[in-house]
Amino acid sequence: MKPIRILAAAASALALTLTSACNRSGGGDADRLTIALLPKSKGNQYFVTCERGARAAANELGAELLFDGPTNTDPAKQNEIVENWISLGVDVIVAACENRDGISTALRKARQEGITVVTYDADAQADARSFFVNQATSEGIANALLDTTAELIGGEGEFAIISATLTAANQNEWIAAIRKRQAEKYPGLTLVDVKPCDDQKDKAQSETTNLLSAHPNLKAVVAICSPGVPGAAEAVKQAGKSGAVKVVGLGLPSENRAYVKEGVTQAVILWNVEDLGYLAVMAGAAVARGELAPGATEFDAGRLGTMQIVGDNVLLGTPFTFTAENIDDFDF
Amino acid sequence: MPNATFKSLATRHESVLVLVIVFEVILFTMLGRNFLTGPNVSNIFRHSVEIGLLALVMTPVILTGGIDLSVGSMIGLCAVGFGMLVNDYGVPPGVAAIAAMMIGALGGSLNAALITRLKLPPLIVTLGTFSLFRGLAEALTKGAGSYSAFPESFLALGNSNVAGLPVQLWIFFAVAAGVWLLVHRTTFGRSCRAIGFSPDGAHYAGIPVARNTSMAYILAGAIAGLAAVILVARIGEARANAGIGYELLAITAVVLGGTSIFGGVGGVTGTLLGYVALAILNNGLSRIVAFDLFGQPVTSMARELSGMLTGLLLLLALAAGVFTKSLVTRRARRQTPATNPSPTPPS
Repeated sequence: MKPIRILAAAASALALTLTSACNRSGGGDADRLTIALLPKSKGNQYFVTCERGARAAANELGAELLFDGPTNTDPAKQNEIVENWISLGVDVIVAACENRDGISTALRKARQEGITVVTYDADAQADARSFFVNQATSEGIANALLDTTAELIGGEGEFAIISATLTAANQNEWIAAIRKRQAEKYPGLTLVDVKPCDDQKDKAQSETTNLLSAHPNLKAVVAICSPGVPGAAEAVKQAGKSGAVKVVGLGLPSENRAYVKEGVTQAVILWNVEDLGYLAVMAGAAVARGELAPGATEFDAGRLGTMQIVGDNVLLGTPFTFTAENIDDFDF
Repeated sequence: MPNATFKSLATRHESVLVLVIVFEVILFTMLGRNFLTGPNVSNIFRHSVEIGLLALVMTPVILTGGIDLSVGSMIGLCAVGFGMLVNDYGVPPGVAAIAAMMIGALGGSLNAALITRLKLPPLIVTLGTFSLFRGLAEALTKGAGSYSAFPESFLALGNSNVAGLPVQLWIFFAVAAGVWLLVHRTTFGRSCRAIGFSPDGAHYAGIPVARNTSMAYILAGAIAGLAAVILVARIGEARANAGIGYELLAITAVVLGGTSIFGGVGGVTGTLLGYVALAILNNGLSRIVAFDLFGQPVTSMARELSGMLTGLLLLLALAAGVFTKSLVTRRARRQTPATNPSPTPPS
């Protein structure tokens, strides 16, 4: 019997630490909206920044905000989280979708239960959500990336792309748009390779090192996921090719500041990530309260002012280029 | 005498697990939101049944003193195979499901052949096939593809209820009953333990060691195929990274259930309890909305906490096991002089 008693004691000690370390926060109010924010992956600084904006919006609205997401690439995890939110009884789900088709199954289930669903960052199937908060159109991103790259290398030479995964829908759209822009406007540029980095800096670094040795004439590396940009920059720096091989990418200013200032990375392109989280939560809440319905062309998004809606896409605006001159003005 | 000791150990371990489960349920009911509700209890099992299936078939493998690290990757391979058959070749899902289980069985036989014929250690063999199967799945989809055109009737397998319980839970019950009978009521089950204790001993006792060991791995592969089909039905998409990391969760459930990682000792009941304890822990943490921990609501840290607590639970259970064993031997030693008339020198 003794071991049982010991284990029970250990278990209750665990419970005690858990409960005593806990502080009771606001309870489940009936007319208070509960908004759940789903990132593609959790530890990513990009989504942590989104959450900050989302939290600001939730505070303005007096809503309760839940935040949870996968910590690995298990494609079932996002579904599991959404289904748990359904049975938890949330009012709004705001989701960035890793696997478009897979997550749609769960999001449709949520809508059947009367939960408002909007997507942000990466869309689901159209019938699985009411609006997609679009941070920038594929063309907007692709054009900004490729135009900057072309300008940096004089419109001629080889470049390569570091992407997140070969499966992420938005990454593939951007790559397609980059290819299209290249064919139309920059015949002198050649895309030699696309390498996935699994959203990991280390892997981006090793893939870039491989690219540099495989393609000695490489002029630029374009990283289209946020961990990829510092990863690519580190590889270029260690290869002693700073400035000779340009690094351009979609990423957070904070993660790239050092490389930009050293002259390893020339340009970081991004929308205002905090605003994206803010806008997504504002849009979700507006739909849940019946203030925003399909067919609307404009929407009043609190501190952001009036935002444009095209079809079922709420648009955040045009991307922004961070360079050595302006990068210090941003803290995300 | 040793048999009786082990039996009491096993029952004691299982009662500890029951206690842990009861404790979890009380804790999450008190702290969590909508924990003990029909839809959530369904969620607990719907989301974990694939790991439960793997844990079931991992039990005989570990009983033989082996291990199968490849079952998670096998889910990825079988899911892709299944998706390809249904989407690209128009095979009805029922037939494709059987094919997926056959792919699994085939992969299991590869493991079995390498382990029993070449006498390679199971850890190394399945570490190899762990990469091989996942790599194959990625190659088949070129890393990018996924299959999602499945009929509604098939998706219902993963998302609807029969008699109030998720469909896949009934399948799990059937497999659990089958594996329980196999391990506890057949010569195969007994032979697994014998092999786990001593492969040479088992061989000299006339047990077909190679054949029975092979069966355990083939069964594991086939059920991984079944788990893949259930997973695809649940998320409506087949892709190469399905089932990533599931093998370790399954092994955790088995070891938590009291099966010795060295083989020979353990059983299916313990595995089932270990699995339930893990499944409840994983779900329950996501229900705790009203409490903050380290400045965040617990629900926002559910995944990290469940990792930590799963590890803690496993270590506690293992420590409790060792502690019990040493307690038993100490007590036996203390009792020896009383039952033995000749005095023993102090040790």
